[in-house]
Amino acid sequence: MNKGKYLGLVMVLAMTLTLIVGVSAQEMKVIHTGVGMVGGDPESIDPNLNEASQGNNIIRTMYIGLTTQDEETGDVVPGLATDWSQSEDGLTWTFNMIHDIPWAKYNADTDTVEQVMDEAGNPRYVTANDVVYSWKRVLDPATASTYAYVPAEFVVNGTAVMAGEASVDDLAVKAVDDYTFEITAPEAVGFATNIYGLWMVNPVPQWAIEECGDSWTEADCMPSYGPFVLKDWSHDESITVVKNPFWPGTDYVPQAQADEVVFHFLDPQTQFAEYQADTLDAINPPIEELDRIKSDAVLSQELSIGTNPCTYYIGINAEKPVVGESVHLRRALSYAVDRQSIVDNVTKGGQIPAQWFSRPGLNAAPTLETNPDLGAKFDVAKAQEELTLALDELGVASAADIPTITLAYNDSSGHAAIMQAIQQMWSTELGITVQLDPRDPSTYFSSLSEDAPQLYRSGWCQDYPDADNFLRGVFRSDSQQNDPNFVNADFDALVDEARLATDTEERRALYAQAEEILSVDQVGMIPIYWYTAVQMTKPYIERTYSVVNREAYENWNITQ
Amino acid sequence: MAVVEQPQTNTTPRAEVASLNQYVKGESLWQDAWKRLRRNKPAILGLAVILAWIIIAIMASSLAPKPFDIQVLADNNAAPRWVIDLFPQMIAKDDGGYVTVSTNYPLGADNLGRDLLSRVIYGARVSLAVAFIGPMTALIVGLGVGLLAGYVGGRVDNALMRIVDLMYAFPTLLFVILLMTFFRTSFSNPPPGSLAAALGSLDAGSGGMLFIFIGIGLTSWMGMARLARGQVLSVREKEYIEAARALGGKNRRIVWSHVLPNILGPIIVSETLTIPSYISTEAFLSFIGLGVNPPTPSWGMMIAEGSRSIGSYPHQALFPALALFSVMFAFNFLGDGLRDALDPRMRGVD
Repeated sequence: MNKGKYLGLVMVLAMTLTLIVGVSAQEMKVIHTGVGMVGGDPESIDPNLNEASQGNNIIRTMYIGLTTQDEETGDVVPGLATDWSQSEDGLTWTFNMIHDIPWAKYNADTDTVEQVMDEAGNPRYVTANDVVYSWKRVLDPATASTYAYVPAEFVVNGTAVMAGEASVDDLAVKAVDDYTFEITAPEAVGFATNIYGLWMVNPVPQWAIEECGDSWTEADCMPSYGPFVLKDWSHDESITVVKNPFWPGTDYVPQAQADEVVFHFLDPQTQFAEYQADTLDAINPPIEELDRIKSDAVLSQELSIGTNPCTYYIGINAEKPVVGESVHLRRALSYAVDRQSIVDNVTKGGQIPAQWFSRPGLNAAPTLETNPDLGAKFDVAKAQEELTLALDELGVASAADIPTITLAYNDSSGHAAIMQAIQQMWSTELGITVQLDPRDPSTYFSSLSEDAPQLYRSGWCQDYPDADNFLRGVFRSDSQQNDPNFVNADFDALVDEARLATDTEERRALYAQAEEILSVDQVGMIPIYWYTAVQMTKPYIERTYSVVNREAYENWNITQ
Repeated sequence: MAVVEQPQTNTTPRAEVASLNQYVKGESLWQDAWKRLRRNKPAILGLAVILAWIIIAIMASSLAPKPFDIQVLADNNAAPRWVIDLFPQMIAKDDGGYVTVSTNYPLGADNLGRDLLSRVIYGARVSLAVAFIGPMTALIVGLGVGLLAGYVGGRVDNALMRIVDLMYAFPTLLFVILLMTFFRTSFSNPPPGSLAAALGSLDAGSGGMLFIFIGIGLTSWMGMARLARGQVLSVREKEYIEAARALGGKNRRIVWSHVLPNILGPIIVSETLTIPSYISTEAFLSFIGLGVNPPTPSWGMMIAEGSRSIGSYPHQALFPALALFSVMFAFNFLGDGLRDALDPRMRGVD
């Protein structure tokens, strides 16, 4: 009898436990996403150091800039700052920040997010000093941030500090008080507020970085203040962020609706398999399966094709033999690429055939409505005309006598197919045989910076939504991103003028001229297509779609 | 080891022997082996499949219906009706599905509208070239080193075998991957006119096959060297070698006429059984993107490309996989048969 008594007690206990666990499991809303992810770890989730969109998608959930981008329009909207003002000369900006946003950190022992306290036991708040520290840290040559050159031009002494010619204390950044940040730029540039909100100058915690050193981005150290806080980083596998209850929520960045977001580092094929097994909720599907997805009654409903502010192109290294010697050859190569066919038959994601570099839709970038005939289009007759001129220029009798040209690409996702299609087009339309050089994806872009091959595949995505980010950012003769060694004084003058001009239409006209130089007159690159964001989402996920290549996960929810 | 026919003792008169010989024809070791091999059905089947593939590879340009690199982008992923019917998940466009039906391609077209059949046929060239190059280097380098080490012995043996040990210490696959990565990075941008540039352009001209040959060649000879040395050591002390030496035979003659023929059996068997591993190494390298350069077709690369769309177009991976499978099996069956035929002691032993 006694036994029976205890048994009953145990059963009651067990049932209660199941009830508790059951309830909490039901309430936990965990979103598993692969959107914007690739196989393998992001380079970094340190805001000051990251330069790739994979890390950016994760940082965006934890750190919010003074300003941020509206995810539907791409416009600058208030982030950590409530408002800002510009001095009369247009050079000095003053940002008023939201008060009392605490730094928060995940505590694994209690499984809760806690405020971070200082030595005296008071909560640490995100202040203007954190912003000042971030600016000093990102521009400090010792930090070796590869993207520092972007904000460097928007603060007095920025480039000098980066070059090691001035101390970080000379930077014109100042915390007027705890919640007022002031910065002075060397020039008055219209889109400066965009720059001041970029992730590489998001406030970062000096105390945590000094305590943990390089490993401060690990889960046991990293604090943040945005809608989510880092919970776990299983290297080369996933990152989990958990809802931060201390983020007050603003009009543009509300409090998170889901409890957790798990970023899985998988290639598209694996993502799709996991998606079909219901273990991932949102993915970028592989292009090889798009035909079936589009024709399937269920899957096609879950597919979305949206805007993605990126350009797919083939860079041409102007200092390499053959391609560097003949502008007519470069033009012939560009005219001979049937972009529409690539988009229709190979990539299939509704991409737009590109005629120039800066993605239409960016501020002041030419659009197909304003400049329908600008740039390079598929035109066999023109390509062959240019080829004839190129043969003279190179001093060879026929296309077959042109010395070997190499086209390098990172051997991942669908690039091999696109490159082979282009290789074939050049061979049929021009009789030029190009050698393909597939390279290891993990070291591909650093190998381009060291020594770009004759032709190489590349892509460029916006950091801030302005044509300046594309044209001046990549192809100005002194740009750090100028792997193809494109040098043209007229181009430099045009993009410099457009940068400081204020009228959008005037700027657009200047950029159109610059684009003509880049893609037709001198041909520094061959535009292929303008990206789209191809995603699949389970029907039980309620979400928004971002046009800026960074999803706003705080707006995502699970509805069942 | 080879069964050496002992000459009959002189007790029988010569005439009698001669009359016996009219009825019993002398049989050499090779004839005997061939006879045994012929009775082994799987081995003969394997031999037939290999011969068929060799003919296909040589005649590729006249057998293939289309060149391997011609793309018809509009026909991307097209498939004939029978392939669509083969896989339940493939639904033709006419039936509300997504597959373009086309009769122009016997096995269908790949994601760039290239004929799959032609690519499988041309792909045989890469696999069979590797099946030839691997054993060739193994025989030339490995057998040479093994004979020298085993026959000369002493310091030479010691030195050569330590080199082999050193090379053996690297895991083969890892070593080949490292080699390929090294070739790719160091020959992708060489100064013009250098040896590297010459090698690089040779490799480019062969569609990326040269470096695969070098990679496989460099790793294929060590096993052979060890095997040959061991065999030589056991044969060297045999009575007939001693006899040859006593009769004043020169070293070269002893090695060529007495040692080599007697160790050839196990060597052929072991090499035939290793060929599938060369083929799979190439397929693996191409699968992970370190093999031949596109658009040169290789079965490994075709399987890699096909596996990306395996949910939608499973046939694109299946056909090259079947081709690879048939060749690997054929070499394994033939190798087993050869072992039974040439090395009777091993029969029934695994």
